[in-house]
Amino acid sequence: MNVPGLFHFASLLREVRAPGWRPWILGQKHFSLPRAPLLQAGGKKNSLNLLGLTEAELEEQFVRGDGPGGQATNKTSNCVVLKHVPSGIVVKCHQTRSVEKNRKIARGILQEKVDLFYKGEESDVFKERRALEKKKQEKKRRAREHLERKKLFKEMQQLDKK
Amino acid sequence: MRCLTHTLLRRLSCLSPQCVPGRWSQILSPKQSSLRQSCSTRPGVVTATDVVNYWQKVFETNGIPEAQESSEYIVSFVLGAKTFQSLSSKSLRTPLTAAQQEQIQQLSNKRLERMPVQYVLGEWDFRDLTLKMRPPVFIPRPETEDLVSLVVEEESLMHKKNSGPCFPVSAPHPVILEIGCGSGAIALSLLHKLPQSRVIAMDKEEAAVDLTRENAHRLQLQERIHVLHQDVSYGSAKQLLLWGPVDFIVSNPPYVFHEDMASLDAEILRYEDLDALDGGDDGMRVIKTILALAPSLLKDSGSVFLEVDPRHPDMVKDWLQAHPNLLLVLCAVHKDFCGKPRFLHIQKQSR
Repeated sequence: MNVPGLFHFASLLREVRAPGWRPWILGQKHFSLPRAPLLQAGGKKNSLNLLGLTEAELEEQFVRGDGPGGQATNKTSNCVVLKHVPSGIVVKCHQTRSVEKNRKIARGILQEKVDLFYKGEESDVFKERRALEKKKQEKKRRAREHLERKKLFKEMQQLDKK
Repeated sequence: MRCLTHTLLRRLSCLSPQCVPGRWSQILSPKQSSLRQSCSTRPGVVTATDVVNYWQKVFETNGIPEAQESSEYIVSFVLGAKTFQSLSSKSLRTPLTAAQQEQIQQLSNKRLERMPVQYVLGEWDFRDLTLKMRPPVFIPRPETEDLVSLVVEEESLMHKKNSGPCFPVSAPHPVILEIGCGSGAIALSLLHKLPQSRVIAMDKEEAAVDLTRENAHRLQLQERIHVLHQDVSYGSAKQLLLWGPVDFIVSNPPYVFHEDMASLDAEILRYEDLDALDGGDDGMRVIKTILALAPSLLKDSGSVFLEVDPRHPDMVKDWLQAHPNLLLVLCAVHKDFCGKPRFLHIQKQSR
């Protein structure tokens, strides 16, 4: 599904930094388990109607290494890499210092990206972004007009003084 | 294998080649001028990205694990953010003030001594909460975040079963006992997620009791938690029954096998309370103590949730079968986010 028009839109979401493909990629792959924060199937996210994702379609990777984990390790890399297998979309999230929160945020971002991928312009995400962009342009236009009017008014005042 | 005391373990960790005592780190730690020189953009101007790259190299040179992550967390912290990824591209390009650079230097020097990042920053996040961290109180591990989810889910199931006209909805529920509260991560997360709950939290270390109380106050949860300075191995059940029998017992008890203690990272051996980790020869010492005490503390159908070593589930199952008088049954084993068996759900059978 081709959605080229989206790229010039200001990104609503915190885009993940381009990964430098650091050591984490060499780490073991760990599949997610039922314990993961749930995505409602056919779920609503902030009143947007988005395609639901099931845990079975997702692959998750953590930078926890091969060690014993748990108490025996004190690693601070709480980055989560989440892949939607059917579409191949990957999201990397290191927005917080909590693994659990990063997992939730990653799922939210992934859900929006997957929805955009399959629905393109029909996606609520697309529509919301477009509406926001319009609002922004409208605000700019009004501000510009306001400045023009002020300028004009000042010029007229100068003329009156003469 | 001879039993190594914890002081000996700590001293041994200092002998490893990666340990560089104060003098070395002074020689290798940079002066501010060389930092400015190494920045390729504008002379005399140092951005967040420059500083992260700089300290990452210093950490790598000094054999400090997680060089990039450590550097990022420290710089983000000084800039008022939680993670480097959460900083705006604007803040990444903004020049750092001299005061900020000085603060980063001070924090990084601590990291050069292998101090865990959580102690360097004096705080860390656990699920939705930001908690104060202070050595030697045990730093909560990310796996433990799922332990909280398990209790919350079970409460939701139990609540559905029990709600009805005869159930006093206004009474505090659930009542939870946490054994070994450390910084208060589990106790306070549960209070936060379960607004009607009450927690009795205990720890044998005074530093942990103090830190849990401090975090409870910071989060305004002090009204719903009682923090006791008590050792589960020596106390009596009576002192723990302030609110009667409890719905849940939760614990992340020391579960490391004693023979594995010596191979822990310097960050852990040098700074954390090793008693919070060492579970004895089979890692089961405190687990067994908790399970032996559980029946006198739990309501019928009450549950014990434990975090354990991946080798423990079978060991615990066998031990419970060998102690049928406890009327405790292992009803589920849950995996952590790395796929390792990590959490036990044990239930008390009604008579």
